[in-house]
Amino acid sequence: MKAVRILGLLAIFVLLAILPRWIDNEYYVHQVVLIAIYAVLLFGLDIVVGYTGEVSLAHAGLFGIGAYAAGILNWKMGWPFYLAIPSSIFVTAAFGLLLALPALRVTGPYLAMVTLAFGTIAEILINEMDFLTNGPLGITIKKPALFGFILEEQHYYYVVVIVFLVAMLLVNRILKSHLGRAFEALRGSPVAADCMGVSVYRYKVFAFAISAGLAGLAGGMFTFNELYIAPNTFNFELTVLFLLALIMGGRKTRLGPVLGAAIVVLLPNVLNDIELFRYLAHIIAVGVALFVIRHVISGKRTFKPLVIPVVGAAALEWSAHKLQEMTDWRITIFGFLILFVVYYLQEGIIGWIRNVIGHYRPQWVGRALAIDKAGEGQVWAAPDHAVKKDGALLEARQILMQFGGLKALNQVDLAVTRGSIHGLIGPNGSGKSTMMNVLTGIYTPTEGSVVFNGSTISGDTPSAIALQGMARTFQNLQLFGEMTALENVLVGLHHTYKSNLADVMLNTPRYRREEAAARMRAASILRFVGLEAFMNEEARNLPYGRQRLLEIGRALGLNPALLLLDEPAAGLTSPEIKDLIEIIRKIREHGITVILIEHHMDVVMGISDVVSVLDFGQKISEGKPAAVQSDPKVIEAYLGGQAST
Amino acid sequence: MDILMQLLMSGIALGMIYAVIAFGYQSTFATSGTLNFGQGEALMLGAMVGLSINGDVLGGPYTNYWLMIPLVLLFGALQGVVVEFIAVRPAIKSKSEFGWIMSTIALGIIFRNVAENIWGRDDMPFPSPLPTAPIHILDANVLPMELMVVVGALLMMLLVELFNRRSIYGKAVVATSSDRDAAGLMGINTGLVITFSYALSSMSAAFAGVLIAPITLTGASMGAVLGLKAFAVAIIGGLTSGLGVIVGGILLGIAETTTGFYLSTGYKDVPGLVLLLLVLAIKPSGLFGKTTIKKV
Amino acid sequence: MHFAIPKWAAPVLGVSLVTLALGAMAAEPIKVGLSGPFTGGSSPMGLSMRDGVRLATDEINKAGGVLGRKIQLIERDDEAKNERGVQVAQELINREKVVADVGFINTGVALAAQRFYEEAKIPVINNVATGSLITKQFLPPDYKDNYIFRTSANDGIQSHMIVEEAITKRHFKKVAILADSTNYGQLGREDLEKALAAKGIKPVAVEKFNIKDTDMTAQLLRAKEAGAQAILTYGIGPELAQIANGMAKLGWKVPMIGSWTLSMANFIDNAGANSNGARMPQTFIQEPNTPKRKAFIDAYLKAYHPANGRIPSPVSAAQGYDSMYLLAAAIKQAGSTNGPAIRAALENLKQPVDGVVTNYNKPYSHDNHEAITANIPVMGEVKDGHVVYAYEEDRKNPFHTK
Repeated sequence: MKAVRILGLLAIFVLLAILPRWIDNEYYVHQVVLIAIYAVLLFGLDIVVGYTGEVSLAHAGLFGIGAYAAGILNWKMGWPFYLAIPSSIFVTAAFGLLLALPALRVTGPYLAMVTLAFGTIAEILINEMDFLTNGPLGITIKKPALFGFILEEQHYYYVVVIVFLVAMLLVNRILKSHLGRAFEALRGSPVAADCMGVSVYRYKVFAFAISAGLAGLAGGMFTFNELYIAPNTFNFELTVLFLLALIMGGRKTRLGPVLGAAIVVLLPNVLNDIELFRYLAHIIAVGVALFVIRHVISGKRTFKPLVIPVVGAAALEWSAHKLQEMTDWRITIFGFLILFVVYYLQEGIIGWIRNVIGHYRPQWVGRALAIDKAGEGQVWAAPDHAVKKDGALLEARQILMQFGGLKALNQVDLAVTRGSIHGLIGPNGSGKSTMMNVLTGIYTPTEGSVVFNGSTISGDTPSAIALQGMARTFQNLQLFGEMTALENVLVGLHHTYKSNLADVMLNTPRYRREEAAARMRAASILRFVGLEAFMNEEARNLPYGRQRLLEIGRALGLNPALLLLDEPAAGLTSPEIKDLIEIIRKIREHGITVILIEHHMDVVMGISDVVSVLDFGQKISEGKPAAVQSDPKVIEAYLGGQAST
Repeated sequence: MDILMQLLMSGIALGMIYAVIAFGYQSTFATSGTLNFGQGEALMLGAMVGLSINGDVLGGPYTNYWLMIPLVLLFGALQGVVVEFIAVRPAIKSKSEFGWIMSTIALGIIFRNVAENIWGRDDMPFPSPLPTAPIHILDANVLPMELMVVVGALLMMLLVELFNRRSIYGKAVVATSSDRDAAGLMGINTGLVITFSYALSSMSAAFAGVLIAPITLTGASMGAVLGLKAFAVAIIGGLTSGLGVIVGGILLGIAETTTGFYLSTGYKDVPGLVLLLLVLAIKPSGLFGKTTIKKV
Repeated sequence: MHFAIPKWAAPVLGVSLVTLALGAMAAEPIKVGLSGPFTGGSSPMGLSMRDGVRLATDEINKAGGVLGRKIQLIERDDEAKNERGVQVAQELINREKVVADVGFINTGVALAAQRFYEEAKIPVINNVATGSLITKQFLPPDYKDNYIFRTSANDGIQSHMIVEEAITKRHFKKVAILADSTNYGQLGREDLEKALAAKGIKPVAVEKFNIKDTDMTAQLLRAKEAGAQAILTYGIGPELAQIANGMAKLGWKVPMIGSWTLSMANFIDNAGANSNGARMPQTFIQEPNTPKRKAFIDAYLKAYHPANGRIPSPVSAAQGYDSMYLLAAAIKQAGSTNGPAIRAALENLKQPVDGVVTNYNKPYSHDNHEAITANIPVMGEVKDGHVVYAYEEDRKNPFHTK
């Protein structure tokens, strides 16, 4: 396998090296350079859109900031390109930080609007700040020179291609590392990421900064390629074009951005040239014909899925014949191509190819490292935080949690003894989950305080609390759906990494050591919860019961002192419940304190040391399971009506 | 003529234009969680069809302005159904996150290009149904058509509100907005409700188109900037509040005209956007948007 | 399944056969690039220009072409975007191997894309873009020869005429400048300010507006408060109409004097009665007051049937038409399609070219690439939906030469 990869890479290098000589036409070389530049930007856009799952409409603006940073440094200060371009990375990354500030608390369309506003403001400022940017007149700069040697297009090509390859390598390293997993976790479930000690704020800012830095790099290279920049280039249309390119090419891949960039750069030329367009139409017609043939041969009797492709290809052929001129209808055809991608290639072109290849790819070509030595011994590590010996491990005092007029928790006290399993029960709506959220910092209590392991944690962020040794699972599963089981657990192990961005980019021994250790431990944890067979399966594809176990495994990755399980047995079959009880027992045996919310009374009563009962936001009973079970108040709460006598 | 009054009045007129379009974003977001990024084009098509019926571009005029409005509303509704059917439904079905963004943008650019080819690339005047001489209100000059925009916008929102409150179909819409799954379980055909919300959304955009066309100009590219500004308004006000779009629209409109006069006309869009960033920094779901409690 | 094969094979075969046959039959045509915005906001100018160039090309080809070869236009839409303009230039030069290029509506696009023609030594005739810098981008000593020519009235000439009209002829003391925020508007604004400064006048207000702005209240109020007696504009049709309409709304009417774009149909139609009296420098007014102009107008109307018998942008059409004739004359004189030879011929045209705008007698020299001099344009005025001569003596005596 490795030999194939190396040969493949070598072939690509050779191809890229001889390309300018081979095509020997400045026009095409310029196109290739532009594709490489856009691809670098799209790598960055992919971090935000593909990994953290947010729509950014600011990237044309960031691209413009990068282009202008390099342009101004060269034009006003005479910096050569090899200083100006790297500077534009840092300038733009700083603007990315600025963008992340208002973007922190918002998501979805609101975040899209924040980024749009940012991009628009950037465009206006570039246009208006004549003293710095020369306003709408634009900046003309001279061809880049290297120690007195003027770089022509074919020389500059090598600069861009080398930067492009390095950027691709570094982005690939970042996204395959714990940092990339942190970004992806934000998309899967921000709440769960926070509760695994991966601070949503921090990594969102980080993602935006790296993404902006890449946009700046692309912008800087763009300036020295075009040699003339003007503000109107970096407008909303370009932003949309970038987004389309990425999604058409394929998110969460390195090849997708390259392909997407090639499409948006080359397509206008294809659509301007009626001859070329006709050939394209024929190719598509052949493709559809093959699709129809395959469909018929495979013996399917439903012809509905054939209608749209056949009609579409026929319409394309018809228009290729009918139209004498492309100009007028070019944009319509582009629009239909987008719709085609949305309908048939939802994961983008590269995503689609991957799926097709995946069908035929042997099972043994996995994503993970070989993990042979993983045994149960790797599951348990020394506690990260020394557990204080005196007092309760967790103490909630007089917690009041108010939503508007509703008191979801009313003056509740809770003390959890070190090393115990503490059951928390109550009817639906009694405030159990609210309690859980208060303890883990998702809600800040209206009144009262929570003390964990000797320090007050109420008011801290969920990720800070998690890093002090408190892990949890979720009643409504909050797995990172598009990540594999192993990667889910690795997010839990995020705190074990001391490596920083530089370590990851340089692939230092420290990072490699940490990555290997984390993978080993993640594999052991999966084995412990009985999921070793599903290691490389995406979490969303696991059966329900396994998903619950995976949540526990992920929480164990945090190496917690206290584990909060929110209805772990819900939806499990009885053999699965038996396994679950065994797992919880083992967790406790290894010195981890457990809080267990559960509706299955036999589970709670069977393994809990102490049980607290909540009803209407108040604690109505507490004690040994047997005592609680016979408490009339509890019976009343569960059965309703009068206390039975 | 009092300068400030004139700026405020112009700002309000401008803001109400934004508000009507922004209203269309809300109606689809409420029921389906999706937005039609071709909203500006829906507005443009409404204005263009209105002009074709009411003006002489395609052999008309066929009727007068007032009789044209119901026809345009009907066209808008149909156009919305088409958008929902082609762009949104497949994306919702496949649960693809970016699908509807891509496909509504794609349909938007297709509509614009088709309009360019039918009606040409030039901006055209729209015959005004009311006198074009300004009238004097509160020390400021206002065009009769601007008053009609304000009245028309309020009237439309009022009608939709009444429909939602009073009719059983309206209640289905409200139910779907608050919980699509639960509404589905209650036997409401949520797919139909979403289609309806798109029809309503494009209808309001088309209505906005014929309302504002006599003041602005009519052309294939008239919707692009308005669509984006209206998006900003919908976000400032909050995607879930009818009152929000009116307040948001007026805020943005006044911000534009007053900064244009008092600061600089070059920077006139900036304060509105900064305002938007500030609002979202303090209230992440807009001025009047519901803040949802995280449930896990 | 066999039906699928001929469906796609036939056209492929057909296309390749036709190409082969054409190649064998006639002498290779002379390829000339034609670039401009044919979609989007400035397309009315681009399309009129294109039609003018096409008209000239058809006439030339019907008359036997040049050097015994037909002229083939390679038309490309630059979408008024700088980076598209760059790609188009490279495609025309390196892939299509054009011998020359005519076009460019947007100054920004021209400034971004022209360097490729300069480097490839391929002449360009700008027929609409007016930025003063356009013909001065590649001057000695940095560049030995300049390959950029022009058949439009540059901003320097236009702004001078605008200021003459406002200050000298109509004796306004206080004027406001309203210019759009694009390259075009801002370059024009600079030239206007310079021309005013030469008269010792400082504008009382200098305001900007964006493309597609629908409300001009703020800009107009600022001009009004500053006591402006006239508004000098630099923008394109639709927004200029919004300015005229905005003035009517505020009940404030002062004369509008501005760049040639005030003659565009989309200004006149959209401003309606409010456009009356607006004045602008024109190289061409759609009035058949010379035989050549009559022939041109008739041919244009016959070929393209514009609405109301009015060319959307007469200036663009006329300048486009003339640019092609100038180029053809140069190729003929050079006797080759070699770039430097064509440039040399353009710089030293021996035969005068009878154009629509003027009679071009030695329009260019090595150091002057502007075909239009300050005496050629006339003042036009909008009157009831048409552009007419503002001064009767210009109408009677329409032809100015360099």
